Amino acid sequence: MNTGQIISGAGHLALIGWALFGGVFRSDPPPFEVVEATTISTEDFAALLARTTSPEAVATVDTPEPPAPGDAAPPLASTPDTAPESTPPEAQETAPPDPAPDVTEITPPAPAEVEDTAPVMETPQEDVAVMVPQVSPRPKPRPAPRVAPEAVAPPEPDVRIDEVAQPEVAPDEGAEVPQEPAEATAQEEAATEIVTEAEESKDTAPTSSLRPKPRPARPVQQAETPKPAETPKPATTETPKPAAPATDQSAVNDALAAALGTSQQTDTAPSGPPLTSGEKDALRVSVQQCWNVGSLSTEALGTTVVVSVRMSEDGKPDNGSIRMDSFSGGGDAAARQAFEAARRAIIRCGANGFNLPPEKYDQWRDIEMTFNPESMRIK
Amino acid sequence: MMRFMMTLLAALTLWAMPALAQGNGPLRIEITEGVIEPMPFAVPDFVSDSAAGQELGRNIASVIAADLTGTGLFRQIPSSAHISRITSFESPVQYADWRAINAQALITGAVSTDGAGRIVAKFRIYDVFSGQELGAGQQLVGTQDGWRRIAHKVADQVYSRITGEGGYFDSRVVFVAESGPKDQRAKRLGIMDYDGANVQYLTDSTSIVLAPRFSPTGDRVLYTSYETGFPKIYVLDVASVGRRELPTQDATMSFAPRFAPNGRTVVYSLTQGGNTDLYTMDIGSGASSRLTTAPSIETAPSYSPDGSQIVFESDRSGTPQLYIMSAGGGEARRISFGEGRYGTPVWSPRGDLVAFTKQSKGRFHIGVMRTDGSEERLLTASFLDEGPTWAPNGRVIMFTRETQGEQGQASLYSVDITGRNLKQVPTNTGASDPSWSPLQN
Repeated sequence: MNTGQIISGAGHLALIGWALFGGVFRSDPPPFEVVEATTISTEDFAALLARTTSPEAVATVDTPEPPAPGDAAPPLASTPDTAPESTPPEAQETAPPDPAPDVTEITPPAPAEVEDTAPVMETPQEDVAVMVPQVSPRPKPRPAPRVAPEAVAPPEPDVRIDEVAQPEVAPDEGAEVPQEPAEATAQEEAATEIVTEAEESKDTAPTSSLRPKPRPARPVQQAETPKPAETPKPATTETPKPAAPATDQSAVNDALAAALGTSQQTDTAPSGPPLTSGEKDALRVSVQQCWNVGSLSTEALGTTVVVSVRMSEDGKPDNGSIRMDSFSGGGDAAARQAFEAARRAIIRCGANGFNLPPEKYDQWRDIEMTFNPESMRIK
Repeated sequence: MMRFMMTLLAALTLWAMPALAQGNGPLRIEITEGVIEPMPFAVPDFVSDSAAGQELGRNIASVIAADLTGTGLFRQIPSSAHISRITSFESPVQYADWRAINAQALITGAVSTDGAGRIVAKFRIYDVFSGQELGAGQQLVGTQDGWRRIAHKVADQVYSRITGEGGYFDSRVVFVAESGPKDQRAKRLGIMDYDGANVQYLTDSTSIVLAPRFSPTGDRVLYTSYETGFPKIYVLDVASVGRRELPTQDATMSFAPRFAPNGRTVVYSLTQGGNTDLYTMDIGSGASSRLTTAPSIETAPSYSPDGSQIVFESDRSGTPQLYIMSAGGGEARRISFGEGRYGTPVWSPRGDLVAFTKQSKGRFHIGVMRTDGSEERLLTASFLDEGPTWAPNGRVIMFTRETQGEQGQASLYSVDITGRNLKQVPTNTGASDPSWSPLQN
C-alpha cells in the first residue's frame, strides 16, 4: 500500500464521517400550529345550550265577529257640488296683428362671371423672404415724365438740372484755400415706373401677405440619391491602368494649361489688383444715369448690345473706340438704335471722366459693357 | 502622395479661374437699369436766302419741333438757349456748342423755292455726342400750300431714324364733328391732319353720321348715316367727296363697317329680325356673305393686318366680350376675361395688340391686350372714353373722351401705348369717333 492510497483512504473516511455526523442529512422539523384550549364545567355547558332554544307562546288573539245581516246601511248625505264661480276674463282689445313685413324684391346676386378657361395655378416662388408680401404691388409713384432706377423728388425751381446732384459752392472770402464757385445742381424729377391714368388711383396697400415658410427640414446625413442604373459590366474586369505621368512637374503644367486654356495671355494681362465690387458698381451707376431708353422702339428695347470702349487714364472714354461687339434679341436696325443709345450714355456721362481708381488703370483700360434693357421694357 | 498634391493643385487652379479670368481682358459690367426721359433735341430755323423763305423755314422748324415734342419721347431745347447759330446748311456743325446745352440730336435744314414755285427743303440729322450724322441728308419738294406736310415728313424721318420705329406725323384723321347742345347735337364728318390742322368737312349736318373708317390707302371713308331713317353704310371718296350707299337689304340696319386690308372687302354688322350678326361684302360686286349666326349681338369687327382674322365684340356669354375668329367665319375664341364689359376692339397695325374700350365699376377705360388676351393694360380712366384708333406705327392710340353733365362735350385725346403722354388733340368743335389714316404718300 503506497502513500497515495493511504491519503485517499483517509480522505474518504473523513468525508464519510463528516457526512454522517456533521448533520448533512438532517432536515429541519416541519412547522406546526399551536391552539389554546380551555376546560369548562357541565353546568356552564348546559347554560350555553339553553340560550339556543325557541321562546314559548304565552297569549292568544280573539277573532273579530262578523256583522249582522239586518243592519241598515247608513244614510249617505251629499250635496251637489256647485260650480265654482268664475269671473270671465275681461275682454281686452287685442293688439293688432303684426304688420306684414315689407316684401321688397330681393335682387338675386349677380351671377359670378365664370371664365371659360380654368385659372392657371402659379407655383409659388421658393426663394422669397418670409416676411415679404408676395402680392404686394410695387408702390405707384405719382407720374413723372422721367423714369429712373430710383425715384427723385422734384428739385427746387431755381436749381439747374444735371446728371449729378451737388450743393451750391460759394467762395468764402476768408478761406485760406481758394474755392471754385459751383452752381447748385439737382437731378431731374423721376419716378421708378410709368404710371398710366388708369393706375393712378389704385390702392397701394398689399392685398395679401406670404405665408411663412415651414421650418426647413433637418439636413439629411446621407443624401438619398437614386442609384444609377447599373450599367452592364464589360466582359473584361481588368481596367486599363492610366498612363503614368512622365514627370510630376509636367503634370502640373498640363493641369494648369488645361485650366487656363486659351485665355492665358501673359503678355497683355493687366497687372495690379482687380476693381472691387464697389468700384464696379460706381461705374455701373454712372453709366445707367445717362442710359436713356425712352426714345427706343419696342424692338430695340428687346435688344441687348455688348459695347466695348477704351478709356484714357483720366477716366474719359475714347469716343472713337466705342463699338458694338455683339447683340442679341433683335434685328440689325434695332441693334443699331440700341447701340446708339448705349454710346450716348457712355459719352455723356463719361464726358467729365468716370470715377475710377487711377492706380488700377490697367484693369479698366478696356471696358466691355452689356446693355440689357429687359427690366426697362416692363416699366 | 505626390499625385494627391498634384490633384489638389489642379483643383485649386480651377477654383481660382474666375478670379484669374477677371484679371485678363477687358473689365466687364452689365447695365440693366436706365432712365426713360424725353431726348433733348435742337431744331434751329431752316436757313433760307429770302425773307419769305426765312419765315417758311421758321414755320417748318416749328412744326417739326411740335411733332417730335408731341410724342413725349423728345424735348425741344428752345432756340434762345442755342450757343451756335446755323447760318449755312453746308457749314460744319460745332458739336461742342450743342453738347454744352445737352442737345443729343440736332436737325438742321434749308428751304428754298425752285423755278416752278415749289418748296425745296433739305435737312440733316446729327447725333451730337458721337459727333456723327445719322443717316444721309434728304431733300423734299412740295407745293407752297403743302409746307406742313413737308415738315411732317421731316419729323417722320427724324423720329424713325432715332427711335427705329415708323413715324405717324404725315397722316390724317377722319372724325365726327359735333356742335350744339347734347340733346340736339349736329354731327358731320370732318377730316384733318393728325395734329388738328387743316380741318375740312366731308358731309353736312342734315343727318346723323357715325363711325367713319379710313380705307387702307386713306383715299376712301366708310361711315354710317341715318339719312334714310335706318342706319345704312356709305362709302365716300375723300378727294371728290362723292359717296354711295352699300347695297343692303331694305328694313335692315347695317352699321360698324370696316375695310379689310385688301381695300375691296368690307366687314360690318347687320340687324335683321332682331338679331345682329357679322357680314362681309365685296364693294365692287355688292355680294355679301354671313360670318356669324349666333342669336347674340355680334358687332364692331376689325381685321388683323394680314386679313386672316377678325376681332369683334359679342355678348354671347352674357356680357359684351372680345372674340377672335377666322376672316371667313367659324369658331370664335374669346380673348377678354377681365372684370367688366369690353367693346370696340381694334387690331394694331403691327398685329401684336388689340386696343379696346372697357367699362368697369362705373368708369370707362381705353386699354390694350395681346391677341391671346394676355398682358391687358388699361391706359386711361374717365367718365367716358371709347372708340380707340391706332396711329400708323402702332405706337399711339387716339380715342373719344366725353365729359359728364349736360354741358359735357366730346373731344379727341391721344395716348402712348405705354400709358404716357395723354393729351388732347386740338379741334375747333366737339369731336368723336376718330379714325387714323395710314401714312400719306
